[in-house]
Amino acid sequence: MLSMDAGAIYLDYAATTPVDPAVGDAMAGYLTAEGSFANPSSIHPLGRQAAAAAETAREQLANLLNVSPCDLIWTSGATESVNLGLKGAARFRSNRGKHLITMPIEHKAAIGAFAALEHEGFDVSYLMPDADGLLATDALEAAIRDDTQLVSVMHVNNETGVIQDIGSIGECCRRKDVLLHVDAAQSVGKLPLDLAELPVDLLSLTAHKFYGPKGIGALYIADRSACQVEALLHGGGQERRLRPGTLPVHQIVGLGTAASIAESRQAEDLEHLHRLNERLWAGVKEIDGVLRNGNADRSFPGILNLSIEGIEGESLLLALESLSVGTGSACNSTSHESSHVLRALGRDDALAQSAIRFSFGRETTMDEIDAAIRCYTDAVSHLRAISPAYRKTA
Amino acid sequence: MSADRESGPYSQLVRRYFANPVHSGELPEKYNVGVVGEAAESEAGARVVLSAVVDEGRIRVLRYQVFGCPHLIAATEAFCDEAEGKALTALTEFDVPTLMSSLAIPIEKTGRLFILEDAAKALHISMTGTKED
Repeated sequence: MLSMDAGAIYLDYAATTPVDPAVGDAMAGYLTAEGSFANPSSIHPLGRQAAAAAETAREQLANLLNVSPCDLIWTSGATESVNLGLKGAARFRSNRGKHLITMPIEHKAAIGAFAALEHEGFDVSYLMPDADGLLATDALEAAIRDDTQLVSVMHVNNETGVIQDIGSIGECCRRKDVLLHVDAAQSVGKLPLDLAELPVDLLSLTAHKFYGPKGIGALYIADRSACQVEALLHGGGQERRLRPGTLPVHQIVGLGTAASIAESRQAEDLEHLHRLNERLWAGVKEIDGVLRNGNADRSFPGILNLSIEGIEGESLLLALESLSVGTGSACNSTSHESSHVLRALGRDDALAQSAIRFSFGRETTMDEIDAAIRCYTDAVSHLRAISPAYRKTA
Repeated sequence: MSADRESGPYSQLVRRYFANPVHSGELPEKYNVGVVGEAAESEAGARVVLSAVVDEGRIRVLRYQVFGCPHLIAATEAFCDEAEGKALTALTEFDVPTLMSSLAIPIEKTGRLFILEDAAKALHISMTGTKED
């Protein structure tokens, strides 16, 4: 009988991370009457105290990215940052051209923003990645036209973990005088990211992917005359009028604290993730029909995405219920649509539906990885024993 | 649908049958006179294979193989559990809405359950050579 101890092991850190206890403690000081709860736009002492905390957090994030604090705009998270960055820049520069470039393996936040821009009359080119999920710079260069004004790519793909070569892509964009937006929701706080060195114009991030709170993110806007964005919201003068609204100081403090912690332990975290990833892959790679999605040599070690032959995706997910893992599909009771990312990488529908995304974090232990290996192996055996569809070919 | 928010789209009965498919597999080798009924959604889609040993008009042993979602696996297990030991007519008296209701299977999965119904009818035809309307 299959063991189904629901959700006992959390391996879905790419979806969200738990708030670091130090982050929670820092946030608590900005919520109640005993703390600095005041509106940071107020000019009285308590307001100034709250504003100072928000600016300290901005400096902490700026230090992590090696940028100037004034280049960072607070948002509600990566989806808003992506929308502000893409729509804001495209609309601001629309007199220079209406051609935009992205990839079909982007997060739906970007795909949705581009769809909205297409509706407004922009022309969007979706460049296919190679089989490893990477964008070839020569393909990008060939796709850039005289009327191209913006390119957007993810740094780390949220499903496969594949890392795009932002340096080469950015250099290509600079040569052609085209803006580059990077969706870095999966990489900020996890991978070294030096924006003083990288030719990036706009960068979106969110706190909850690196042990900060949900509901807070930021958009980096490079201090270049060519790089300006139009606001999506209108109201007060907060955030250089680009993102009006009362600043959620407790969340901003949480993001800043998380950024500061990430900066201090990034190397240690990465080494830990490498060990976990290698252990899991070593434990499952001999299972007949198992396939790794994405280029292993160019992937963030915190994500391991597996497809498997002869297994129905929804059943695999239920059989793995003792693990909290991500799936390669938008799975619910009414639909089991396969991943647009994996389909774009050339996986057929059945393989894309069987995809499971394992993602690890600071708290993940080797014992949990070993349990995940056992669980995955048992689930595959269980379903293949029932199935008429799978016959081992070896 | 009785499944609550925390248990998702799967009722406790669906979970129990899915995790404990005692009628799954092919017929044991000692039965060399089994008959088979099969139905599939498409070449690569959901598939149900039923195999049975019949003696004096009764289904003595009923086994299945399924490639499909948890609801289809659970429904097939429940069907085999219910039909084994009964008269052949159990195969044609199969009722999709009743089974869906008893297992709290969401209405969106109705199409999948008809694959099981088709397999049961195919098994009946294999046994009797007659098609039930």
